[in-house]
Parts: sequence; structure tokens; C-alpha cells
Amino acid sequence: MSALILTSVLGVVLLYFGLFGNKKLLAPVGIVGLVAALVLSWTGWNPGIMEFPTMVEFDRMSVLFNCAMIVVTILIFLFGIDYYERMEENVAEHYALMIFSLTGAFLLTSYTNLLMLFLGIEILSIPLYILAGGKKRSYRSSEASFKYFLLGSFATAFFLMGIALIYGVTASFDLHVIQAKLATGASSNVLFLLGSFFVAIGLSFKVAAVPFHFWSPDVYEGAPTLVTAFMATVVKTAAFAGFYRFVQMTGLPPALANTLLVMTVLTLLVGNVVALRQSQFKRLMAYSSIAHSGFLLMAILANGVMTPNTLFYYTFTYALATVGLFVVLTLAKRAANGNEAITIFRGLFRANPWLAFVTMLLLLSLAGIPLTAGFIAKYQVFMLAIGAGFIKTAVFAVVMALVGIYYYVLVIREAFTPAEETPVLVVSPLNWLVITLCGISVVAFAVWPLNLVG
Amino acid sequence: MVLLALLLIPFLTALALMATRPTNAARGIALLSTLASLGVVLMLWYSFVPGQTITSVQYDWVPWLGLRFVLGYDGISLLMLLLTAVVFPFIIGAGYTQKLQHPSMVNALLLFTQSFLFGVFLAQNGFLFYIFYELSLVPVFFLLLYWGGEHRRAITVRFFIYTLLGGLMLLFGLAYCVMQTAPISSDFAVLQTLRLPANTQIWLFWALFLAFAIKLPIFPFHSWQPDTYTMAPLQGTMVLGGVMLKMGLYGIIKFVFPIVPIGVEYWRDTVIWLSLFGALYAGIIAFRQQDLKRLVAYSSLSHVGLLCAGLFAANTYGISGSLYQAFAHAILVVSMLYIVGALKERTGTSELGAMGGLKGKLPRLAALFFLVMVNAIALPLTQSFVGEWLMFNGLWQLNGWMAFAAVATIIVGAVYMLYAYQRAMLGPDRWKMDMADAGRNDHLFLVPLIAITLVLGFYPAPILDLVNGPVQQMLSTLTALY
Repeated sequence: MSALILTSVLGVVLLYFGLFGNKKLLAPVGIVGLVAALVLSWTGWNPGIMEFPTMVEFDRMSVLFNCAMIVVTILIFLFGIDYYERMEENVAEHYALMIFSLTGAFLLTSYTNLLMLFLGIEILSIPLYILAGGKKRSYRSSEASFKYFLLGSFATAFFLMGIALIYGVTASFDLHVIQAKLATGASSNVLFLLGSFFVAIGLSFKVAAVPFHFWSPDVYEGAPTLVTAFMATVVKTAAFAGFYRFVQMTGLPPALANTLLVMTVLTLLVGNVVALRQSQFKRLMAYSSIAHSGFLLMAILANGVMTPNTLFYYTFTYALATVGLFVVLTLAKRAANGNEAITIFRGLFRANPWLAFVTMLLLLSLAGIPLTAGFIAKYQVFMLAIGAGFIKTAVFAVVMALVGIYYYVLVIREAFTPAEETPVLVVSPLNWLVITLCGISVVAFAVWPLNLVG
Repeated sequence: MVLLALLLIPFLTALALMATRPTNAARGIALLSTLASLGVVLMLWYSFVPGQTITSVQYDWVPWLGLRFVLGYDGISLLMLLLTAVVFPFIIGAGYTQKLQHPSMVNALLLFTQSFLFGVFLAQNGFLFYIFYELSLVPVFFLLLYWGGEHRRAITVRFFIYTLLGGLMLLFGLAYCVMQTAPISSDFAVLQTLRLPANTQIWLFWALFLAFAIKLPIFPFHSWQPDTYTMAPLQGTMVLGGVMLKMGLYGIIKFVFPIVPIGVEYWRDTVIWLSLFGALYAGIIAFRQQDLKRLVAYSSLSHVGLLCAGLFAANTYGISGSLYQAFAHAILVVSMLYIVGALKERTGTSELGAMGGLKGKLPRLAALFFLVMVNAIALPLTQSFVGEWLMFNGLWQLNGWMAFAAVATIIVGAVYMLYAYQRAMLGPDRWKMDMADAGRNDHLFLVPLIAITLVLGFYPAPILDLVNGPVQQMLSTLTALY
């Protein structure tokens, strides 16, 4: 709770720093604030605390998700020090908006009231609409922002409609009350089904599940790389946490479960197969992010005891790998004069062996090869799915994981192929630190995969 | 602790080599490391009482996923360890005749592979096995990508993906089995007590078997093999053909037979016929090959088909023969490939059509080639003869026609090998230039290998005793379940 308040204040403080032109202080202040938020979140580890009488509940799951998101944001801020150095204006706003977005993410992981869910999603999204358009003079960035805004509002409309319908059936926004009502038979009510269906659509949009994924490749590509990293990691983590809380409270009525099943299969298929055809790295990461949503949806669909832990572990390790890769992309992109094609990674091993090695680790983790965290994450998802009886879906997911390995391996191959002209990479110490931290943690979490939520 | 040392000796040496500058001294260090591993394995063998199963390192790694770090070995594992440990010094030694860039990196990658292979053969936990099994691919991937021949980029990725397809299916099968245990565990000891319903076993068989069928590979999962073997650097092919494919055989014994015995019984004839057909088919293709290295690739494919058929005969003769032949095959592949490399080094080609008449220039190498070939065509008193004769017997007990097909593959094998020898070595001498005949290095490499084949061909008991216990045990549980 105190973390929530702290971050909202932190955002305003950062805006003030921006006003007085202390550009150098922005990131350090932000990071110190986030570390404080991390400590405050962690103190709420033990039993579930209800706040605003029953609007939000900070239980173990939400504390963990919050801490994971704060850690990832800190990494992104560390990356930002170097990234924003070349930018003259509005740097404070960028940091502040990310902090505000993070505040919304906290609500998403801990709501017990559908209104809070709605507030969370909006607080999360509105800063993102602005951030996506962060490069004001870039057409692609503006396009991304506008597209994201339009489609996002559309999804929000569905979402609100869904909440209204659920309210119509149960006469409450409170998930505990709704749960009690459902136990007495409301779950077969058509209006309730329709309502939860609409809410699921709104959440699916945020996690970029097929067929609500169309915005993501364009937005990922157009947005500034740092913002893309934020969207692919923190936003996705928050959205999945929110999604799971909803499913956990309302259960999965068969109709909704079947819809989710179809969406899972489609997401796995489209994400992986379309990624095969990408030549731009950011678009590849967008489709890979869609593909990972498919695996995460499968964990939600299985809805077992281990689901929260799997979601936490999966999203966190995915986020670590993704942030690291986006930092590497930025470095390679600078060396290649703004080109974002996959081929810019060529010669990376010659240019900087350690960087290439870590890049390999991060990509292997996304691909799910043993002794990286991605492998343990995928394994957990398979175990969940098999345990819940989704045998055929699991086999399908296995095949899709293989397709995924293919396009990650192509990038690894580029990195380890000598280029005609070895790129000159300038790695600032902080960026080196971020990449190394990501690389080490991806292996460390595989060697010590903690089981925290359960 | 000894077992842990076996994992760590190559691993730490590899790490040290990676950190050093690329010099040729790396080869010597790597050689020492493999000899140390060989020493350790020989020590294990010496103190091993046939029939026992030893589990020494136990550590609860991630119990809630069924992952435990358990190392141990029985007779079959020990055979595989022995095979790995014997063959690797030669693989490293083969580097002395190769002029590769970054020798320290090549040797580091080879040693990483050895460490992971030891891991595969020592793991007593399904999940741990899987981790080592997949990890062993990573160094090989880089070996092929950097030091491979033509079209290496495309072929390497195809090889990687093809193998991982099997690997992921195995992971799925493993996850399925683990979910059936309570409390969750993937120790082989626990998995072997699973009694899954018959119809589950029938489909689960393929989830578990596919990985190994691709690794070996048997027909029709073999299409990655000839290109990869031909393109890979010499040492890479030695690792792939000499040791890595034995993981397939070992995996079948550890996963498929104990966990899905009914599935094995159900699919047995299918698998045997596929393997035998593949063996014959590869033999016939080998006959038509112009490139000696490609011929070795197809001949390996043919031999492996027979190995798999013998294993699936699922009787004492078949399984022991298959395991025995696995050892023979490892030595055969390494020595054959060494000769391919030696010829290429001297003539600059591995095209059979371009060679011809080398015997006059290279009498000693021709003699060594002949001795290796004698093993390849399984003449009596060679190691291959023992293995193939046992497998032939095993198949005969099952079905006369299978035995007939097995014999046919042996005949085809003799034909293409002799024909290849004839084209390379005999005929009129058309080489104008001078060539150095087999020197000290070549003798140091080939003579011990040939000696092993002849000694074990004459006296196979040490190896057969090693595997007999576990094979009998396996068969008794199998027959109890049918």
C-alpha cells in the first residue's frame, strides 16, 4: 500500500525535477525511489492486507508481482540513463510517466474490486499512449501512439461493458461478493458469461492475445526502444497478474474456458509462425511476446494451484531476458546507424564476446533451452497443462515452442557469424551492468527456481 | 565425489581454455584432461562388481519440479562412460592433424560436450538427464556453425531444430510421466515403477521414443544426418557419430523400455522393420557415394539402423549385441573418419573418383585403412563381428525374416566398404606428387584403436559381463509386464 502511495508521489517529484532542469538527477532519484518502493512492498509480504476497506488486497502473489515489476523498472531506468542522454527535452516526463504506469500496474496485481481493475488498467495505459509517441518528430512513433490509443480505447469500451454486465447480474463490483453470488448459481447466467467474456477481451488486448494482438507489432516497432522494453515486460506482467486474479475469483465457466482455449491455440500459432517471417528485430520481439502470451494463457487456462507461481516465474524471467535484449538492440542499432534489422547483430561476437555470450543466454532463455530460466518456465507451463488434462494443447505448444526456438536461433546465428565489417559497439558501464545482470539472473533463476507464491 | 569429478574435469578445463589466448598448447591441455577422465572411468570400471547399481551423489535441486541431482551408474551406464572416455582422447588427438582457427575454442567446446555427455550417462533422474541431453547440443551447435564446411549456416540450424523437436517431445513425455507420480519425482527409480494404462503407453511411446529416433537417427527421421556429418568439421563428426548418437541408444534403455513396456511390445515390429529398412536403404545409398566422408555418414546410418533393430528385439542377445556394437561403432566411426581426414590432408580431396591408386604411395596408411575396414565389414575376430552376430541371433529368435534382412545389411555393408577401398586405394597410381606415408601421429592414433577392436573381438567378455546384469534385470521386468 505504502509502495503505491510512494510511487505516485515519486512521479510528481520527478516532474518537478524536470521543471528545474536537473536532468542528471532524474534517473538516480527515480531509482532510489523505486528501491524504497521495493523495500516497502517487500514488508507487506506476510498475510493479505485489505485496503480502502475492500478495494485492494496485498497478498503474497501481488507483493511478488509488484516486486518483480519494480526490479524490472529499475533495470529499465538504469538503461535509461544512457538512452536519454542524447535526448534534450521531456526526459522527466518519460520517467514520470513510467512511474505512473507502474502505479497502475500495482493496482492490477492487487485489486479485489472490478472498479479498481478498471482504474488500474487506465492508469497503466494512459501514460503508455503518451510514451509510445515519445519521439515526437518520428512519424512511426506518432502512428504507434495513435494506433495504440484508438485500439486501446476500443478494448476499454468492451471491458467497461463487461463490468457493467457483471454488475447487472451480481449487483456488486466486489470480487468477494461476486464469488459468493456465483456459488449460488449465477455462473450459468448468460449475462454474466457475456460480461466475463467482455472483460476477458479487454484483458486479452493488454496481453496481446490473438485475435486482439494487431496493435502490438506496430506499436513495438514505432515506440522508442526503452518504452517498448517497458511495454513488453512490466505491462505484460501486470496484465497477466490482473487476468489471473479475475479468473481466480470468477473461476472459468466452460464457455469462457473454451474461448480461452481457442485463443491460446491461436496465440501460440500466430505468434510463433508470423515471427518466422520477421526481418526487423523489434517486430520479431513483438511476435515473440505474443507467442509467450500464448504459453502464459495456457497457464491461466490450466488454473491450478501452481498457476500464480508459474505466471510470476514466467513473466519475471521473460522480462529479464527481454530488457537485456532491448539494451543489446539499442547498442547494435547505434553501431548500425539506426538500422533495426536482425542482421545488425552480425559480428557481435567479434565486436564484444561477452555481450554476444549474454545475448545468447538471453535468447536461449526465451527459446526455453535447459539451464536457462525460460526452460524451467516452459516446463512448469507444460506440467500445469498436463495436470489439468490439456494433453493435446500441450503437444501443440511443444511444437510451437520448437518453431520459437528456430527464430531465436537465427538471431544467435547472426550474432556468432563474423561480419565483413565488425561493428564498433560502445558499451557504457551501466548498460554493461544491465545486460550482465539480466544474463546472470536468467541462469541463476534456472539453477535456483524459487517457489514463492505457492 | 568421483562422479562429480568426472563432470568437472572436462568442464573446468574447458572454462580455462576459453579464457586463454588461442594457441596450439590448448590441444595438449585438452588431451591431458581427457586422459584424466579416462583414468577416472577406468578406475570406476576396475572397482565395479558386475550387476551392481551405484548411486553416489544426491542433492535435492528443485523437488517441486521433480528435479534432483542424482548421479550414479550401472553396467550399461558404465559401458557408455567407458566409450565416451576412450573415444574422446582420440577426438582431441585428431585435432593435431587439423589446421583450425582458434584451437583453444575448439577444444573447449569439445570438452564441454564431453562433460555434458558424462552427465547424460551418469544422471539417475529423468529431468537431469534431459538437461544434460539438451545442453550437449549447444557446444556442438557452435562447433558446426564456426568450423563447418559448405552451407554450414543452414545445415547447422536444421540439425539443431530437428534434434530439438525430439527433445521437446521427450520433455512433454517426461512432464506427463512426472505428473503421474505422487509425490512428484522424475528419478528413474520412481519412473520405472509407473504402471501406465496400455492405451496411454501406446501413444506415449512415440513422445518418448521420437527424441532418440532422431538422435540415432533411424529411418525416416534421418534426413538431417548425412548433410550434417559431411559438413561438420572432422572432430565434430567424430563427436556426433562416435558418442552423441549413443545417447539415443542409452535413452531408449533408460526411458522407453522401463516406462512404456506395453508400448514397446506394441510398436516393436514397426520399429524393427523401419530400422532394418533404413539400414538397407542407407547401405545402398552409401554404395553410390562419391565422397568418402559422406559414405562414412551413410554407413553410420546403416549401422545405427541395425543397432536399433537389435535393441528392439528385446531379448538377451539383441540388447547385449546392440550395446556391444555401440562400443564397436564408436571406435569404428572415429578411426574411419580419421582415415578420411588423413587422405584429405594428403590428396586435398575426399572424392573417391579423384583418389585411386594411393596404395603405392601410402602403403602403411593403406594397411591401416584395411585393418579399420575389416572391422567395418565385421569380419570374425573383430569387435563388430561379435556385436552383429549377437544382434543377428537376437533378431532370429524373434523372426526369421528380420534376421535375413539384418544379414542383408551386413552384406551390403561389406560391398560398399570394399568398393570404396578399391576406388580409393587400388588401381593405377595417378598421383604425380610425393606424399608422406602414415607417420608417428597416425600410428599413435590408429594403432591403439585397431588394437582395441581386435582384442575385444577376440575376448568380448569384459564388456558383455558389464552389461549382462542390467540387461537380464531389464528383461525380467519387461517380461513380467507383458
